Amino acid sequence: MTWQVGLYVAAVLIPLAAFAVELFGGRILQRRNAYVATGAIGLSFVLSLVGFLTYFVSAEGVFAHHGGEEHASAPADPGHAEAKHEAGHETAKAEGGHDDQLAKSEGHEPASAHHGGKIPPPPLAWTWSGDWISVGGGMSGPQTPGLSIPIGVHIDNLAAIMFLMVTFIATLIHIYSMGYMSEDPRYPRFFTYLSLFCFSMLGLIASANIFMIFVFWELVGVCSYFLIGFWYEEKKNSDAANKAFITNRVGDVGMLIGLGLIWSSLGTFNINEINRGLRAPDGTFNKITGESGDSVILKNQETGETHLDPVTGMPHTIPMWMLTVAGLGVFAGCVGKSAQFPLHVWLPDAMAGPTPVSAMVHAATMVAAGVYLVGRFFPLFTEPALLYIAYTGGITLFIAATIAVVQTDYKKVLAYSTVSQLGFMMLGLGVGGRSAGLFHLLTHAFFKALLFLGAGSVYHAVHTYEMPFLGGLQKKMKWTALTMLAATLAISGVPLFSGFYSKDAILAASIHMVFEEGRLEHILLFVLPAVGAAITAFYMFRMWFLVFSGESRGYPEGYLEQQEQERIAREAEEAAEAAAARAAHGDHGHGHDHAHAAHDAHGHDDHGAAHAAHGSHGGHDHHHDPHPAKHAHESGPFMLLPLLILAVPTIIIGYPLTILPIPGFHPILEQLISYGQPIAVADPGNSHGLALIASLIIATVGIGLGILYYGPWPALRKFDAKKAAIRFAPIYHFLKHKWYFDELYNAVLIQPTLKLARWISGFDKVAVDGIVNGSAWLTERVSRISGKFDFRFVDGMVNGIADVVYKTGNAGRSLQTGKLRNYLMFLAVAVVGLFAGVFAWVMK
Amino acid sequence: MSDDLLLSLLWFVPLVGAVIVLLIPKNAVALVRGFSLGVTLVTLVLSLLAYRAYTAEGSLAQASLQERAKNNAVERLDNNSTSATHVVEEVVGRPSGKGDLLVRKPWIPSFNIQYYLGVDGISLSLVLLTGFVSVLAALASFSIEKHVRGFFSLFLLLLACMMGVFMALDLILFYVFFEVMLLPMYFLIAIWGGDNREYAAIKFLLYTLFGSVFILVAILALYFWPGEPTLAIAGAKAFTAHTFDVPAIAQAAAETNYYGSQIQQWVFLLFFIGFCVKLPSFPFHTWLPDAHVQAPTPISMILAGVLLKIGGYGLIRLAWPLAPVGASEWAYAAAALGVVSILYGALAAMAQTDFKKLVAYSSVSHMGYVTLGMAAMNFTPDPRYYGYGVNGAMFMMIAHGITSTGMFFLVGVIYERAHTRDLNKLGGLMNIMPVYGAVSILIFFGSMGLPGLCGFWAEVMAILAIFNYDITLAVLAAAAVILTAGYILWTVQRVFLGKKEDWKGLPDLTFREIVIAAPLCLFTVLLGVYPNSLMSWMSPSVDQVVGNIAKANQASGRGAKTALIPPAVVKPR
Repeated sequence: MTWQVGLYVAAVLIPLAAFAVELFGGRILQRRNAYVATGAIGLSFVLSLVGFLTYFVSAEGVFAHHGGEEHASAPADPGHAEAKHEAGHETAKAEGGHDDQLAKSEGHEPASAHHGGKIPPPPLAWTWSGDWISVGGGMSGPQTPGLSIPIGVHIDNLAAIMFLMVTFIATLIHIYSMGYMSEDPRYPRFFTYLSLFCFSMLGLIASANIFMIFVFWELVGVCSYFLIGFWYEEKKNSDAANKAFITNRVGDVGMLIGLGLIWSSLGTFNINEINRGLRAPDGTFNKITGESGDSVILKNQETGETHLDPVTGMPHTIPMWMLTVAGLGVFAGCVGKSAQFPLHVWLPDAMAGPTPVSAMVHAATMVAAGVYLVGRFFPLFTEPALLYIAYTGGITLFIAATIAVVQTDYKKVLAYSTVSQLGFMMLGLGVGGRSAGLFHLLTHAFFKALLFLGAGSVYHAVHTYEMPFLGGLQKKMKWTALTMLAATLAISGVPLFSGFYSKDAILAASIHMVFEEGRLEHILLFVLPAVGAAITAFYMFRMWFLVFSGESRGYPEGYLEQQEQERIAREAEEAAEAAAARAAHGDHGHGHDHAHAAHDAHGHDDHGAAHAAHGSHGGHDHHHDPHPAKHAHESGPFMLLPLLILAVPTIIIGYPLTILPIPGFHPILEQLISYGQPIAVADPGNSHGLALIASLIIATVGIGLGILYYGPWPALRKFDAKKAAIRFAPIYHFLKHKWYFDELYNAVLIQPTLKLARWISGFDKVAVDGIVNGSAWLTERVSRISGKFDFRFVDGMVNGIADVVYKTGNAGRSLQTGKLRNYLMFLAVAVVGLFAGVFAWVMK
Repeated sequence: MSDDLLLSLLWFVPLVGAVIVLLIPKNAVALVRGFSLGVTLVTLVLSLLAYRAYTAEGSLAQASLQERAKNNAVERLDNNSTSATHVVEEVVGRPSGKGDLLVRKPWIPSFNIQYYLGVDGISLSLVLLTGFVSVLAALASFSIEKHVRGFFSLFLLLLACMMGVFMALDLILFYVFFEVMLLPMYFLIAIWGGDNREYAAIKFLLYTLFGSVFILVAILALYFWPGEPTLAIAGAKAFTAHTFDVPAIAQAAAETNYYGSQIQQWVFLLFFIGFCVKLPSFPFHTWLPDAHVQAPTPISMILAGVLLKIGGYGLIRLAWPLAPVGASEWAYAAAALGVVSILYGALAAMAQTDFKKLVAYSSVSHMGYVTLGMAAMNFTPDPRYYGYGVNGAMFMMIAHGITSTGMFFLVGVIYERAHTRDLNKLGGLMNIMPVYGAVSILIFFGSMGLPGLCGFWAEVMAILAIFNYDITLAVLAAAAVILTAGYILWTVQRVFLGKKEDWKGLPDLTFREIVIAAPLCLFTVLLGVYPNSLMSWMSPSVDQVVGNIAKANQASGRGAKTALIPPAVVKPR
């Protein structure tokens, strides 16, 4: 284990240690849990920063352009070095030619004789691995190794960047939470969960193999479950938590299937090994043609040698179709985690969790894990699988964007926008723009975290999520409004803001695939993101205008009273339910009267206390003001500071030096990502120019519509949204009901499953158990009848059983203390005597 | 301590304890409890000694059972017998049999029945589990008020039998322990159970007896089998049945054609049905929900934690190794039955409103993975994948032994306080009993197979292993984890989340309850994070079993199903 690996392992384990301290020491630490958690993630951030700098200093040739032949061995432009400097990434010596890189291929003989071509060097990676478990060593001969499930760390450029991003955002969100959650009675526990999440998320990034990724995949899922259901007193919240976990598990089943197929065919879980083993240096699969169609054979990419299994002595192969299925299986996991169609339904509901959680888990980090995995495991995906990924992304981004347009809850707008943006990334990956998709992952992480934190800041001030009641907040909350404006500009794809560059890269990749490769039948893969991007710009500006510009609209007449009445009605209903349950319980009459008395007593005693607790927790009573926005005030420093800090990368991370992307130059971050990328990746070539034009048109259209509908300047307000809603009522309702996915799933999946469960339970009672009871009854009958015929036969075996049924049934009922003792004594003495005799005799 | 004495004490100490308990004055309830707890603790210490002896550096006990059997060979028996049918074994290296955790003495020589105990990784893991669970169950039994002496006496008798079952290597000895165990269990349910206890107890008794008939027939069939007439001449060594010696039969089945395919299929089927009742597997499972619901908490813990494992142990120790070729003929059906159990149990669990019944059905579901892992006989071309299946099955037995013990204990805790197990009436307990809630969620999630907790490895090993046996079954088994998550999360929501005034003021876990829960939590996490704490010493024994099964099938020229991927014609593009 090199020190760099140790560094990253420490960065992963520190939050885990903090979790343990907070969990067991929580009673002593109380609110100081927050400092432990924040300190831990801050430390991880420092380590990640050191790791990041070290990586890009020691990795040579980072700025040599990969993929395009003419750039491959050109030394980097000096301008790049300056660019880095400006960005604060004082990292790499940019001079790294092709020849230098070859030296890093760790002693592998270049097998040019075999393949003839130049073999790209493996990117610098810090790895370590061991066996988690190993089975079957020596089973087929004394020296054969076991088949292991490994545990391993693999840090390459992508992991180093992700580490930095995750720890940076997580640290800021920890700080923010100290302000946002400070009133919460479970404040310490919140940080305990955050620490566990940080550990799981960092572990996911550091994992060297797909099995470990699966492990952490589920762990981040369970953290998400705890955090969504953080206020579990409300059934709505725990429902959302369940929905999130179970929907994710649906995806995880796909992933498990992918894992099984990969492992049973290729005999390894190691991502890097598979990535490099499946394809030849020119990026094509190592195909062989057998009797049952094409297969892919696992080879060493550098040497071109076939991997032979030490036990079977045979090469590892996987049929082409199975590789596609395995890829789709792994992708299914990503669909669940990254909330892609058709499993996107959980993410909007997940907004039930506290807003810092939405920012960190459900916007910046965990939901991006699906995109990360697709990028990480890119060479696994066959052509059809990639196409499927692209279309999934396209459909998702479009559906989510349309739904976001009609949401009135600003946090829901952000939620759907997250789903939509994740769709963008998937589409980018699917059309072959690996670095474009991952680049967008990173820029999105910053501006979306900022948007959510801003939303939290707004909520903290006004205690409502409904945009129609707000307005004019920019006067009260200047910094929140400004930072959110920056993020809104970024997500809308306005030049100079980070989102522009990454969205541009995605569009470039899609244009490259559709137009330059001439695959016009997939024109949708360009249309969907283009339209989606325009809609994004529209609804994001709609949100910003509705919340921050104009004048406060306030609650409509009678709204607060109605809310209050609904709350009272709900509580009455719950109380009635409880009473009914109690009555029903009493009816059973199992003699628990005593218990009831006790409960009633408790209930009365504690009633007042419970209500008081509830009041302090949920009801922000002082907000019965009809104008929530009028008395709003800017949030405190704990919350504001992260907003301001996040605004910096939101603006500059795309490309800090050059104002407009010059063809042939890539934003630094994209350059860092594409270093050493798997060779299967196509180069988007010169589509950037076209993409630039498209992006500008898209942003103009979207923002323009936003201004025309919702803008603060009356002169420019040409359209009325309310009228549009009436005019397009069917579409409006369709969107308002989120395309009826929830209703559909409930009717087609959930209810039938529950029905099946109930049916099986009934079947079990009536049929399976019925046969058992029936045969017992029958045996008894038969024995009685036969007993009349033939008394001797009564001693037969069948009857014997029936007899036991009959008699013991009575005997059990009549067992009395005295009899029992005698019986037990007899039984015990007899058995012990028997065994003791045997024992003594045996031991002599 | 000599290993002969150690193994014998493991079952003899609780047995003696069972008698002594009855001699304690009736009113000295505390003494009865303390003494019984002491006995279980001594038993646990003995099993830990066995563990230490087994895992010690260079321990003789790590050799295969067959090798150790040779070192402990009994002297030539029954010299007067004229028939050639009795086992003839050389007397070699008798002294080397010391310290290898194997006891072998003649018991009823005229029938070649031996007093034959031994542990390997498989049985040792279960012996440890038994020792561990029984201490916790004894602690949980402190709340029993009725006929305390009788209860603990039967409890200790049960413990003795369970220990015996896991160590017995002679089929008759195994069968004796197996049957005697039913009696205390019957009375423990019938006397200390709930409202419908007689029905549940008699159902348990009859059902298990029904299963043991199959087992007995299989044992006798193995004993009296005259040998495959055509094949015996050709390849068989001088092995002539008429023995109840498990390692010897297993070796014969693996290395010779003495037991032909035909008889093996019957033997396997009989064993399989017999142990499926105990496991229990669909469709022989209906005794379980009744028995669990009616049994008192500590007995539920024992029942779920240990008794069900006897079914799985029977499969892994007898059904598969003694009839390996027959097993591969039935493997697909068995695997399918496993998958059906998994799905059926999970769905049935989802529909329950009784907390305890839900946990009982979840046991049916989880035990399905044991059948599945055993039955995924995919040893061509690489038997290591099958190794994962069987290891997964074993891991499931231990993991389920821990989580289900915990779950039944936790259900018992709430039933003692709230006097109801109705899931629709419970609720909001997380806020009222936070420690209880936290412990429950940990154990329930362990049962759900969350990574980092013990159930995960069990499920994932069994599921991954089946992929190159049959993809359909693999996909179905994988899909079951959704259902598992469904019923567990729904239960957690209904019992712990929300807010409910009804149960305000229920006390949180007492010190005694925390003492029970803590080790369960510890092992749930330990096995999840560091599975090698179990695998490192258990899996070599499992691998030996798998190796023998694979050898037998390869020798008889039949792999199980052919591997999914035909060896491709290597033709570089």
